[in-house]
Formats: sequence, C-alpha cells, structure tokens
Amino acid sequence: MSTKKLYDSVVVNVIQVAQEIYILRLHEPELCQGVHAGQFVEVKVPHCSDLLWRRPFSIHNIHLARGTIDILFNAVGRGTAAMCHLKSGDVCNILGPLGNHFQYDDSLDHAIVVAGGLGIAPFMLLQRELADRAIPMHLFYGAGSKEQLCHLDVFEQYADVHVSTMDGSMGFKGLVTELLLEFLETFQDRSHSSLYVCGPTPMLRRVKEIAKEFGIPAQVSVETIMACGFGACVGCAVPMVHPRPGVKEYYLACVDGPVFNMENISIND
Amino acid sequence: MIDLSTKIGPLLLKNPVMTASGTFGYASEFKDLVQLDELGAIVTKTVTPEARPGNPPRRIVELPCGMLNSIGLPNVGVDDFIKEKMPFLQTLNTSIIINVAGTSENGFVECVDRLNDVDGIAAYELNYSCPNVKQGTSFSSDPQIAERLTRRVRRTTTRPVLVKLTPNVTTIAEIGAAVENGGADGISAVNTVVGMSVNIKTRKPKLATITGGYSGPAIKPIALAKVYELTRNVSIPIIAVGGIATAEDAVEFLITGAAAVQVGTAHFYDPRASIKMITGMENYCKENGFDRISDLVGSLNL
Repeated sequence: MSTKKLYDSVVVNVIQVAQEIYILRLHEPELCQGVHAGQFVEVKVPHCSDLLWRRPFSIHNIHLARGTIDILFNAVGRGTAAMCHLKSGDVCNILGPLGNHFQYDDSLDHAIVVAGGLGIAPFMLLQRELADRAIPMHLFYGAGSKEQLCHLDVFEQYADVHVSTMDGSMGFKGLVTELLLEFLETFQDRSHSSLYVCGPTPMLRRVKEIAKEFGIPAQVSVETIMACGFGACVGCAVPMVHPRPGVKEYYLACVDGPVFNMENISIND
Repeated sequence: MIDLSTKIGPLLLKNPVMTASGTFGYASEFKDLVQLDELGAIVTKTVTPEARPGNPPRRIVELPCGMLNSIGLPNVGVDDFIKEKMPFLQTLNTSIIINVAGTSENGFVECVDRLNDVDGIAAYELNYSCPNVKQGTSFSSDPQIAERLTRRVRRTTTRPVLVKLTPNVTTIAEIGAAVENGGADGISAVNTVVGMSVNIKTRKPKLATITGGYSGPAIKPIALAKVYELTRNVSIPIIAVGGIATAEDAVEFLITGAAAVQVGTAHFYDPRASIKMITGMENYCKENGFDRISDLVGSLNL
C-alpha cells in the first residue's frame, strides 16, 4: 500500500452530479497509484482558516491515465460549501492515501453492496476492482429521492442495480434494507457472498442484523468525526464488540478502519 | 547561521520547537510526513502505569478556531510502551521527552521509576493537568499536592523533570512556584482550557463526557497571559503551549519569556506545522538582528 503524503493538488473541476452532491476532481498522478477502494484522503479546505480540521472523504474514483482522483461530497456544512466553489486551477492541500480498504478474494462469488445516500462514495472504485476480477456485484442503493442518486448509469454497466427512494420517485419506495431483505430471501448463492456497506447509522444497524440473520460476512466503511486522519488525535474511537475492558475498548476509524468487519464493531449513534 | 539552541535547565535542545503531548502520537505516525530529527524535542502521548482504553465517543468537536477534546489518555501502559513505542523513538536524533501521568501520586512515581532504566529518554514531562481524567487536575490545582508530587518524582530520577500545568486555576503562578520548590526543571504551560459545546437540536452535550479541553488558535491569548504570569513569578524555564501554530505565534511566546514552545492542535490539520516553524523562527531572527534565539527570550518591551 502507498505511503501517506501531503500534496498540493491542482483542482481540475467541481461538478454537480446530484442534488447537493458534487465531485471534486484533483490532478495528483502519484496519489492515484496503489490506491484501494475504501481508503480516504483528508482535504484542507482553502480560504476557510477558522475551520481547523481537514475533511475526510472516501476516494470515489481514480483515473490513472489522466492522473486524477475524484472525491464525492455532499454540500452540507461550511467546509463542503466552500469546496463547491473551487475552480479549475485552484490548489487544494490533501493528505493521503489513508486507512485500510475493502477485502475480497477469488473465492468470492457475489459482492452485495449496500449504499445509503453519500455512502455510495467508496463503491465506484470497488466496482472497478470487482470488475477487474470478474466478481459479480449486486448494488442496493437507497436515497431520499431520485434527484439524490448519482452515477446510476455507470453502476448499471457492471452491477445488478436495485434502487430505493423514500419518496418513491425511483425504484422501490422505502428503505434500501427492505429491498436487500427481499433479495436475500430468494438468493441462492449466499454462502459465497459478502456484504459491503456504507451509509447512515440506522441503515448500518439494520444491515448488521440482516447479515447476522443470513450468516453473510459484512464489511462496513464507517464515517466518524476525525481531526487528523492518521492516528495522532485519537478522536475517532469506534467501540469494539469484544473489548478488553479497561485495556482496549475502541478501534480508531482512521488507522484500524475505516473498513471493519461489521461483527467486530458496535454501531452506535 | 543563527544559533537556535535553547536550554531548559539541564536539557539542551537544538531548537525551541517541541511537539505537545497527545498531538504527535509516538512520532511514528508522522515519520512519512516530516523529518523527525529536525525537531527540538518530541513529547510523547501520555503514558500511565496501567493501560487505559480512553473515553467513549464522541471525543472531539470542531469549533471556530479551536477544538474540544475528551480523549481520556488511552495508552498501552508503561510496560508495553517500553516494548512497543520506545524502540522507534530510540532511533531518532532528537530529544525524547516522555509525558507521564498517574491517577495517584504513586502512579506518577511508579511510571517514572519504570522508565528510568530505559535508554534514549531526555526528560519527563508530568501531566498534572489532564481535564478529561477523574482527579486529573487536582495535582495542578492544589499547590501543596503539586509541590509534594514534584519532590517525590524529583527524588525518583536524575533526568530533567518538567511539569505541565492547567490554565484552569485562579493563580497559575502559585502552582508554578510550588513545582519550582518541588524541584522541577521547567514548566510547560498550558494544558487545555475546560470547555463545553451543546447540540441545540438534541439538547445534548456534544462530548460524551459533557465537558472537555479546548485547544487551538483560539486559546493562544490565554496561554500567553499565563506564560507571562509564570515568567514574572518563577525562575525556572517556561515551555509555552496553547494555540501555537505558526512561527509568528512562537516568536510572540519567546519574546514574552518562554524558553521553548510546543505545537499541539496544529499538527492535526498541518502535520508539518512544527517543522515549518523552525525555519520561520530562523528567518525572524535574521530579519530582526538576533544571532541567537536565546537573546529573543524575555525581550518583551514593557
């Protein structure tokens, strides 16, 4: 795996891909090498000196020939709002690649991916990795409405895509976990499948129950608040399911994760 | 060539830039990003006699120009620290200062005693002042306890002993004088300022422990005033810590009388903050006619 480095990366562009969802594309050929799905970068938002921390983002996609890296983000706070206004040619300091990544081996027959909202971010790169190994991917992708879904056309080129929206504007009306449950009840090849999960906490909690019920291993990419992203601040504690009480009770999302086996962590608010 | 060296009692540093405990891990976290040997000193994350898991999440909150933390001193305990963390630290060509804490006076003494046999340690920094540990601040809010504990540690080791104080007291000079009497070689001032933040939607405190320690650029003026107060009232060297992020910040503290500075929260968003500061200080000296950085220390015009 590549060593983490600081880069002053040139912004290629920022494009809107769905309602309040954008892609920041940065030119950083060196960083593109040896990056794996699930890893993240920490972005220092320019022109926001009172916002202290860098912002962590999954690596959404890379383009080796162009030497670019894509970050998918939701413009929800001041930092991400400022990121929307980055222009081609601006410089943005990033730190990466950070964290571990999704695991799969050749015995895997089916990757069942569950994404809620912006939880889709790490799965573009995962899809490419799975496609390279000809491992079939089933994507369960839920959002509030049709306008909040992105890149369906790209995912549909490889994956068997199942969409849900809360307002019913596209696909199944309701929670993506209900759609997943329905699928698994009739799915025959569960014994050689793995779940790959990223999304809001209630979704994770439900997927964890479903994974246990069906006996399918599940890897989750967790989203936590982080100040540094590389193990220095020790702020991003994730409770362990099997702690050594009084000795070790937490993982760190940044260096032990962000990808965990779901059975090893407790999913709290 | 500017002479950047500085003295903290018997401890000679190649330059006045140190890392603040709890913001630089055990240095290995930064090895890909900075030339560790260039630093004046590295202060490690606090080690305690027994392992500690740390506090439950949420542990950190970002605030304008600062952050709150309630990490709770997670560490592997002194025995595993020696086995797991010291070997890398011993390879570095800079002063290694081990930050030590205990939940009792005996805990501090026990920890230092255990480390005394270990090579490659330049000094100890006693963490009297972590606000996120039960009874964590009593050692630095009661002058009698502060003096007694310092004396006990002083008698346990021949290595330099620094004491890190909390700003959360009425008169920091009183505590400073107590640790000086107890035999401390220097004072690190200040630890984090007790703070709190509430989520107004849920009406819950943002930190799991309700209150925590506030740090970052926002607390620099507080730290500067405390350093000023200490330099007027004690004669041992002061190591300034609190919101120092740039060379200009560092110079401000040196002028006020600090013999060295520690960089803390800035490492989280700029891992190279401390390294960059060294060059910046050197440039300041060149531009302002100081051949030795020690001439700058305490040069405040009043």
